[in-house]
Amino acid sequence: MTESNDSLQKLKDQALADYARHVSPMKVRTLTQAGVNLIEDRREGTSVWDITGKKYIDCMTGAGIMNVGRRNPEIIQALKQALDTLDIGVFLFMSKPKADLAKKLSEIAPGGLSCTVFGVGGGEAVDTAIKLARGYSMKPEIIYTDKAYHGHTGFALSAIGRDAFREPFEPLMPGFKKVPYNDAQALEAAITADTAAVILETIQGEGGINVPSDDYLPQVRRICDEHEVLLILDEIQTGMGRTGKMFACEHWGVTPDIMTIAKSLGGGIYPISATIYRKELQDFFIPHPFIHLSTFGGSDLGCVVALATIEYIQKNHLLEHATQMGDRFRKGFDRILANYPDLLLEVRQKGLMMGLQYSNGSIGPRLTKKFAERGVLAVYTGNDPSVCRLMPSLVITPEEVDFVLNALDDSMKELSEEGGIGKND
Amino acid sequence: MATSKDIMEALADYKEQCNNNKRLRRMQRDWSKLLHFIASDTGDKFTMEVKNGEIIRNEAGARGVPDVIVTATSEDMCDMFWGDLNPAQKYLDGKILVKATPEDVQRIDAITMIIWPEG
Repeated sequence: MTESNDSLQKLKDQALADYARHVSPMKVRTLTQAGVNLIEDRREGTSVWDITGKKYIDCMTGAGIMNVGRRNPEIIQALKQALDTLDIGVFLFMSKPKADLAKKLSEIAPGGLSCTVFGVGGGEAVDTAIKLARGYSMKPEIIYTDKAYHGHTGFALSAIGRDAFREPFEPLMPGFKKVPYNDAQALEAAITADTAAVILETIQGEGGINVPSDDYLPQVRRICDEHEVLLILDEIQTGMGRTGKMFACEHWGVTPDIMTIAKSLGGGIYPISATIYRKELQDFFIPHPFIHLSTFGGSDLGCVVALATIEYIQKNHLLEHATQMGDRFRKGFDRILANYPDLLLEVRQKGLMMGLQYSNGSIGPRLTKKFAERGVLAVYTGNDPSVCRLMPSLVITPEEVDFVLNALDDSMKELSEEGGIGKND
Repeated sequence: MATSKDIMEALADYKEQCNNNKRLRRMQRDWSKLLHFIASDTGDKFTMEVKNGEIIRNEAGARGVPDVIVTATSEDMCDMFWGDLNPAQKYLDGKILVKATPEDVQRIDAITMIIWPEG
């Protein structure tokens, strides 16, 4: 029996009320005002349905969790099959799924990254990377960048480049120094004899989809080598094919000493993260094999899901597809940029990691609402509301790309006809 | 169109509402900001100073370097301070302009939610 629209709306209202009462009233209020208070119900491919039945193309994807699409049937099948014989496993012991995934990661990671510590989420992976860098180098200083986002856990929070996330919890970890992103000279100037590592997002996500200039990462690599400082690249949003390469650092031919991955490693189905590092750094763990433990990190079920996800990306040529769909988006963006030069200043993009830079900080939230009205979920970036982030699933079709572009074009037209828009000065 | 006197009265009401709300004061105790309000139709400007969550000063004219600049019509400004409109909705409709960090925009909306929970 099909439920009536009224009863579905009642279900939604009740869920929102319960969420507001028991989780976060301000979150419900903010998302409702922004027109994105959906109660996620059905999920399939590139799309998600609100509990009332409204369909959205998901261009937010939890900032890159759903690279293989939502509820990908092959990943689900792998998990179902694993549940016939496995559970999460015991973190202290070895298992074949753990070994298989660590081996597979060493095959797909840029050269030389052959060892892995598993975790559950991205923040944990970053914490592990910083612990490893400090433990291996026996130095305390970590250099991070302005507008950086690495997660909300202990060490990761200390490397976050947004004061609002940090200030309520200060004092944070000592020894963290902030430098501008995409400025190799400033980074080099900040290095001292006590510097253990530099941590960067290969492309800044929450900071506004900031794609570095072509010489930045190679320069950073050279500087790190010259000063014997470890380079940690956070590929949590950019990895797993998002930019048209398995890892974004491959665009610039740069291999870090430590790399963090999470989000889409779990195929949108099961949380898992990994801190992948050069074999030499294993020397830290040899005398300390039990110094970093994670109860659920690298659970056997998560490892099976991650292996299926990697296989799916490779088998279905999603790297090439991401590049092609990114190019299709680019052509549409160029047309829209020409039509609304006062509103849309530029598009920053690598594959299907895309950021629309608006002229005014209020446009990001307003566009989020207009997109949602047209059946597209696209939320402005956390550290810069003048940037709308588009990170659809890599399985997006040409028709869906065109749908999103039409929604953008319509939204821009409507915005341009509304009052109250001015460039930030 | 509202006069400067109307807006000052509305600001005074708003100050009383905020400062008398213990829950709000506690919630905002780490918020110290200088806000400017600009009436887009009359050109009138107003300054509000918040210190540790308490509104300590409202005055006509733009004083100091603001952390937040809110621009709205004089009518909308009065309605906003009297709780007769939802400022976040107006902001998303492009009727109220706010120049501020996302955190400060969120704070202003949080004040509205606490003092006018049904708004």
